Amino acid sequence: MSASSYDVLVIGGGANGLVAAAVLAKSGKRTLLLEREETLGGQGRAVEFAPGFRAAPLGLDPGWLPDPIAAALGLRDLRRSEADADVAVLVEPGRFLALSRDGARSAEAIAAYSKADAAKWPEFTGRLRKLSGFLEALYLTPAPDISASSPAELLPLLGLARKFRGLGRHDSIEFLRTVPVSVWELLDDWFECAPLKAAVATGGIREHRQGPRSGGTGFVLLHHKTGNRAPWRDGPDAFTRAAEGAARRLGAAVRTGATVKRIEVREDAVAGIVLEDGEEIAVKTVLSTASPAATFLEWIDPVWLDPEFLHALGNIRYRGCAAYVAYALERLPDLPGLPAIDAMGGMVSLTSSVAALERAADAAKFGTVSEHPHVEFTVPTLHAADLAPGGKHVLIARAQYAPYRLRDGATWDAARTDALAKTVTATIEAASPCFSSRILSQKAWSPRDLEEQFGLREGAASQGELGLDQILFMRPVAGWGGHTTPIAGLYLGGVGSHPGPGILGGAGWLAAQRILSRS
Amino acid sequence: MSARYDAIVVGGGHNGLVAAAYLARAGRKTLVLERRPVLGGAAVTEEVFPGFKFSVFSYVVSLLRPEIIRDLDLPKHGLQILPLESTVTPLENGDYLASWADPDETRRELCRHSPRDADAAVVFGRLMHHMAMAVKPILGMVPPDPASLSPGDLAGLLKLGGHFRSLGPERFHALHKLMTMSSADYLDEWFEFDGLKATKSASGIIGTFLGPRSPGSAYVLLHHYMGEIDGAFRAWGFQKGGTGAISETIARAARAHGAELRTGAGVERVIVRNGRATGVALSSGEEIAANLVISGLDPRLTFTRLVETRELPSELVDGIRRYKFRGSSGKVNLALSGLPSFACTPGEGPHLRGAISISPSIDYLERAYDDAKYGEFSRHPYMDIVIPSMIDPGMAPPGNHVMSVFVQYAPYALNGGWNDAKREAFGDAVVRTLARYAPNIESLILHRQVLTPHDIETITGLSEGNIFQGELALQQLFFLRPVPEWAKYRTPIQGYWQCGAGTHPGGGIMGASGRLAAMEILRAA
Repeated sequence: MSASSYDVLVIGGGANGLVAAAVLAKSGKRTLLLEREETLGGQGRAVEFAPGFRAAPLGLDPGWLPDPIAAALGLRDLRRSEADADVAVLVEPGRFLALSRDGARSAEAIAAYSKADAAKWPEFTGRLRKLSGFLEALYLTPAPDISASSPAELLPLLGLARKFRGLGRHDSIEFLRTVPVSVWELLDDWFECAPLKAAVATGGIREHRQGPRSGGTGFVLLHHKTGNRAPWRDGPDAFTRAAEGAARRLGAAVRTGATVKRIEVREDAVAGIVLEDGEEIAVKTVLSTASPAATFLEWIDPVWLDPEFLHALGNIRYRGCAAYVAYALERLPDLPGLPAIDAMGGMVSLTSSVAALERAADAAKFGTVSEHPHVEFTVPTLHAADLAPGGKHVLIARAQYAPYRLRDGATWDAARTDALAKTVTATIEAASPCFSSRILSQKAWSPRDLEEQFGLREGAASQGELGLDQILFMRPVAGWGGHTTPIAGLYLGGVGSHPGPGILGGAGWLAAQRILSRS
Repeated sequence: MSARYDAIVVGGGHNGLVAAAYLARAGRKTLVLERRPVLGGAAVTEEVFPGFKFSVFSYVVSLLRPEIIRDLDLPKHGLQILPLESTVTPLENGDYLASWADPDETRRELCRHSPRDADAAVVFGRLMHHMAMAVKPILGMVPPDPASLSPGDLAGLLKLGGHFRSLGPERFHALHKLMTMSSADYLDEWFEFDGLKATKSASGIIGTFLGPRSPGSAYVLLHHYMGEIDGAFRAWGFQKGGTGAISETIARAARAHGAELRTGAGVERVIVRNGRATGVALSSGEEIAANLVISGLDPRLTFTRLVETRELPSELVDGIRRYKFRGSSGKVNLALSGLPSFACTPGEGPHLRGAISISPSIDYLERAYDDAKYGEFSRHPYMDIVIPSMIDPGMAPPGNHVMSVFVQYAPYALNGGWNDAKREAFGDAVVRTLARYAPNIESLILHRQVLTPHDIETITGLSEGNIFQGELALQQLFFLRPVPEWAKYRTPIQGYWQCGAGTHPGGGIMGASGRLAAMEILRAA
């Protein structure tokens, strides 16, 4: 092994890896980041899917950048789009209900369907904001652990407890109720208008292999409501570029096209890394942002792993259930009934009822693809025109449910992926006349493709389904929610760790803090 | 009207009877008022057809609290539970899976299907035992209010926290999983054989509008695991004479302590004066005075039928409106001319003295749930079948039998609503499914009684036919049951209390709510 030139090796150049590398380098650690692909970005990576057309298929939700992380990396200037569009849901061909970030505009739109619902909308969104605000605090803290005993462990818990009580009696109870409840029940309790319920419910099942009637989807809804998720003003890879710049500026070395083959362990401690090309790098601390499964099952000799830990790793439910299609379009789609073109810059959902979402979900639990998948899409060129040549557009659609695990040995071969893409096109066409005639080119990603091209185990963007038993101190496995692992010097800081997906750098941040607190 | 009673209990269900017995035992002059001609609520035995005694609604017992059995000396008053010695699951390929009271026999049988599962079952059983032990103290605890700063609540919360810490991380995490996962996912971590997983997961859907793959069903599984009969953990059994005899036993104990029990006396409303309960008015018009009124009815009736909602804070009324019932169960009781023969193990045999579980696979159960989700009763339902006359011959004439079939799912809110024709169609679907496994069943049926959730509601008063007085879902359990702030058996009306399963710890024939309510009442005095 070559002499140790680095204090820490960070595996993975997505948001978590970049943030971790930046934080560690800033604290004086000699840090090297290794990324398998030629370009950085991880899930946020934009690809040229057709000549001149780029898209970040997994970037429909650009994620929340917590303020402490932005501050630490000097990214406070990174701007989000100020466009109003939130979710527009198809009511019937020719009619949409368009919800806006502006509460008053949304209430006005809702009033056309139900005055009662319109009146409740501000209270509902205010409530969600408050409850997800508590989650935001939770996500910037190491996960609470029942066996916490040292002052260092207990202090952040006290801070959390205070924040919880700060919600006030009513909202703290509402938080405890909302977490286990289904979005179906939550929305039925609040509203009567079917398309409104359908619009909001999509947030409870996003990349989640459960239907809106399943418990815990209330939590998923809150999770995805943390922070500002508006598109980046400077394009889908704005964050990646800025984070890379920050990491380099702070002194981290960044290498792309470097694939890890093995993590060398000696006496239960990290000794170094071996790359696919044979290069060996000696190092005592490794922070992996790859999936916990890949990290342990592919890169570490099982002789170092406790059978119970291995068993628990094997039990992590990934439940990848989404497929994506990117379209290169001659021009913008027509969406009759959409109040304004910029609504296409938000999320457009083509599923008009919660029951239809539930039916789509039913297929997945039996290992089949939904006959009528839930399709939602966005047109990112409305925010970043340079994703396509002049005047042309990109549309990215997500289809659920397309479960990674199919019954009877079926696989995600090209035929199956194409068939699903056709269904997606047809679904869009039903709301957008002549849509297919505007398609210049397209590319689809099945869960299998996502696994291969984005390093997502079982194609799951969550890297561990956001079930209530797979969050906090249970994430990635019970008792190992603190970003450490049974192997000294090995840390986990990817999406598969607390706080989970959609929080830019969240896990990397906490893992880096953990490393720094131990040195 | 001078106060003639210290306490009136509205509703003669088992929780109300337990509450009355404890109050009477403490010297309170107590009166129980039951609308029907028979005590017991949903724990009743009725001779629906001459000579044939049905445990009309509930049919087996395991969760009756041992402390209640002891405190009220129930064996002296006739409690005699005959254990169910087996569960047999017919499988789709004509084979079956059995579990027996004898662990070695069970192990051998399981080995037949999966030696790996046979080993895992031993470890699983031990863990579930520990889990039940972990939850037991919570069953006997008045829920502390986490948003309150009162010394009592803070002490309760600290005690709870300490209890969880004492479990150690491994058991605490296992408990967390049981509280949050679906029963199918939980069992997938342990077992490989689908028939085994399906049978075990079935106790996660009893009385509950969830499928085995629904998050939250593992909690219901745990809830049903907490049984004890004479110390034999998790054993289910029949009461001799049917579940109505359990109610009778508790009634006898209550009377022995001086409580007065009246049937055919339906309460119309609770009389409230200046924010205080002063008695009840019967539907007959008769008014009876009391210092305390305790409702054993479900929360919807307790708060919106027995009293005027304008007597209650709006938050409570909203909370009760939000409290979910979601009846999803049906019952078919059959009077048989002889014994059914199950194709998977034909003829008579010890298996007929236990339970037969129609739960051949997880997919089967999940599809049954999906039917109900969209407003239909399950075309191929889950069924928990017992033949009480095999263990307790007095339930049927010699040579004849009674068969109790508990069914999931039959949604209360059926598309188009329940009516006589739909009831019969439901009964037919159940019998047809049964006939797939026991081909001779139709030829044996002398009489059949079909109960839809609507019937359960009409007869027993259980809102929407939910057998637990409200879904056993995390958002309405413990300090949230039935609503936040009113989860300690009290109500905002002075002297008006709740003691039914719509309070912690929820449903199943436990009696725990009745006991905890009584103890709170006695403490408050």
